[in-house]
Amino acid sequence: MKTRIVLPLAGVVLLVLCGCRTSVNSIENTQKEGQRQMISDSRVITDGSLAHKVSFVGVNQTLTPGGLLKIQIELLNRKRSLQRFSYQFEWFDASGMQVNNVVSPTVPDQIEGGESKFISSVAPTAACKDFRVKFIEN
Amino acid sequence: MKKTVLLSLLAAALPFVVGGCASAHYVQTGGRESVVTVGQINIQDYIQAANAATSDLLASGTLDKVATPPAVLAISRIINNTGQQIDTDLLTKKIRVALLNSGKAQTTTTLGLGGTAEDPMAKGLQQENEFANDQKNTRKPDFTLSGKIIETTAKSGNTSQSTYSFQLSLTDAKTGLAVWEGEKEITKQGTRSAVGF
Repeated sequence: MKTRIVLPLAGVVLLVLCGCRTSVNSIENTQKEGQRQMISDSRVITDGSLAHKVSFVGVNQTLTPGGLLKIQIELLNRKRSLQRFSYQFEWFDASGMQVNNVVSPTVPDQIEGGESKFISSVAPTAACKDFRVKFIEN
Repeated sequence: MKKTVLLSLLAAALPFVVGGCASAHYVQTGGRESVVTVGQINIQDYIQAANAATSDLLASGTLDKVATPPAVLAISRIINNTGQQIDTDLLTKKIRVALLNSGKAQTTTTLGLGGTAEDPMAKGLQQENEFANDQKNTRKPDFTLSGKIIETTAKSGNTSQSTYSFQLSLTDAKTGLAVWEGEKEITKQGTRSAVGF
């Protein structure tokens, strides 16, 4: 009798788990034409759970034609399920003062299981020399 | 006796609990605590769309190609193709402020759609100056900014989905050609009565 209940339940749980867990396969060219200018970064982890699920692969930067700093961060979802998070860019001038930006949103984002994803932002002014990006799990 | 004491304590605690739940508080505009509604454009959607457009426009370098920087921008028509009444300044003002702060562009307030100036007093003074000096010293806009906000809805069972497309075009005022175009789509999904945060 117990088996009659447990077995279908186990089946349902398995179905639910399989349904939630999908991960991304990808293909790309091996011989890269573009060269990323990677920069060293400092990380402050206060949410180990999020860092364990979505990790930072690296940060690279470039200058726009107008001389603005453009930052790109590569993220990797280490889990097999979709993860939701929000991020926000902050910019600082040569004196380390934060530059106010009217359009600096907290951007809600998501990353599929096993997916590698880039997020990027352009500095609001040419005076911006440094940056910080905050991540929070949704 | 015990029951009376317990009831009295509960009655005393009730206003605090109810009061605590009903309290209003400030939240960061556009932050994670903002209310998300499926059938409406929320403030965080405008901020996101403006941020995407500004970043894309600045990164393109289009504004740097004018002969005498910073570029001068005139705001043209932003068409509202959604089912709601919205003030398109919620989008354009953020873009204008960001572009002005970047030092890459300035917006004219004396030249508006259909000859209507955004700032009539500034236009009057400008015309007065031109008359007094007997010369036109108004700089014509290098670019015009126009766009459209479109709403697309879908429904399946109890789940509703709204997509808001913020489309913008920057047109070279001399050639009439769109030299930069940007589109940001924001999709929200939820059950009929759900309000997300």
